[in-house]
Amino acid sequence: MKPGTKLKSSVCDTEVMVIRGSNVDVACGGAPMAAERPAEAGTIDAAFAEGTQMGKRYVDEAGTVELLCVKPGKGSLAIDGVILRPKDAKPLPSSD
Amino acid sequence: MTQVMKGVRILEVAQFTFVPSAGAVLADWGADVIKIEHPTRGDTQRGFINLGGMKVNPNRSPFVEHPNRGKRSVGVDISKPEGMAVLYELAKTADVFLTNYLPNQRQKMKFDVEHIRAVNPKIIYARGSAYGNKGPERDYGGFDGTAFWNRSGIASAMTPKELEGPLSQGIPAFGDSIGGMFIAGGISAALFHRERTGEAVEMDVSLLSAATWAAGTSIDMGIDSGIIGGNTMPRSGGNPGNPLMGNYYTSDGGTINMCTLTPGPHIRSFFEHIGAPECADDPRFSTVEELMKNWEPASDIIVKKFVEKPFLYWREHLRTYSGQWAPVQTLLDVATDEQALANDMLFEVEAADGGDPIKLVRGPVQFDGAAVETTRAPQASEHTELVLMEMGMEWDQIEKLKEIGAIA
Repeated sequence: MKPGTKLKSSVCDTEVMVIRGSNVDVACGGAPMAAERPAEAGTIDAAFAEGTQMGKRYVDEAGTVELLCVKPGKGSLAIDGVILRPKDAKPLPSSD
Repeated sequence: MTQVMKGVRILEVAQFTFVPSAGAVLADWGADVIKIEHPTRGDTQRGFINLGGMKVNPNRSPFVEHPNRGKRSVGVDISKPEGMAVLYELAKTADVFLTNYLPNQRQKMKFDVEHIRAVNPKIIYARGSAYGNKGPERDYGGFDGTAFWNRSGIASAMTPKELEGPLSQGIPAFGDSIGGMFIAGGISAALFHRERTGEAVEMDVSLLSAATWAAGTSIDMGIDSGIIGGNTMPRSGGNPGNPLMGNYYTSDGGTINMCTLTPGPHIRSFFEHIGAPECADDPRFSTVEELMKNWEPASDIIVKKFVEKPFLYWREHLRTYSGQWAPVQTLLDVATDEQALANDMLFEVEAADGGDPIKLVRGPVQFDGAAVETTRAPQASEHTELVLMEMGMEWDQIEKLKEIGAIA
């Protein structure tokens, strides 16, 4: 993988675009992601089933990998068994 | 809906609801709206924890969806010169620059009209503000709660004198959404003018001007007469001089609003509908002159008739009445109102969290009787790479800008 490439989950509908990072193995739902989906979807590992959200960016702890979710699914994105967390905006807290 | 703004690009550097809601209306109409957000904080509007006393789910926030549906979000730090260079590149491709940043910020960061026109002389420069782009308070910020509702005199006019203090706006972003539509209308006229003459204009809408326009009849009358009419305390009964005007309470605590401004032609239909047909032949009420003179006894009879039956009875029963009236509904009732739905006043967008679709209200204008078809509001900075690559920026450059935090 390298920036600009698309990866698809082999166990759910998730698709991501690689924004940052290269030559890392990304998994979704506990199974490796690839450029193409397998003919038959595998099963999701329950430990990696938090789901992905459309339009969200997912990053690793070190900030070396960033993936943009372009299609949501039921699996969680992970590298070396560590789940990637969404890079949420940190807006100033407000209340009406 | 017919894409009347197809091919028009709006570059939006704005936050909250007032000015972004203009972008949302133009996006509903087919414009390509690029929303610039801070790479880490996003639009401050995304930070609302509470809304009307309720917790907000950030993935389904109406405060984000209502004013931002159909847009693309690009994360640019405009306080950095490298970020500003990206903004200038985007401005070259846009027809309209839309902003609610204060004059001193526009000057400091260099995206005021002269800076944007330097890279694109034909761009329409649209500003939304609290109090207007001229005068001693042009640099004051504000919200609809301040400029639209309170300073304008609207709160004062809305509040019955018997209450100890002014009513609050009550509806989040009420003045903002009204004012945003005014901006969208102004931009449409500015685009038409540019199309015909080649001239690009600067335009301004303030929350104060949106309010004074909305309250214009009262203000103009007040200036002429020295008196501002306002709300009176709620009660069941007719207005002085016209008993077919006024609120009437039902047996279960509901209210029917009678609003027959010209009662003469409707006297018989009205009394028949409220179950007092004999009143139509009563010489006190049978002609409009007598009815207006005898409004008090008429009102007494009507009050007694309405309170005999429940709200839903009247809501159905009055459908065949020839004059004007309305059931006093809640805002949530409107979401299932047959007439509102028949006119496509609600539409759905896909939710980012994969949950149930989000229902949103459309803008007030409909083209060719067609419903709005659009997408959900973007996540903060969602389309950064996509839009920059579309603009012709190479990946190396994108990575470089990311490294220094100039883009998301």
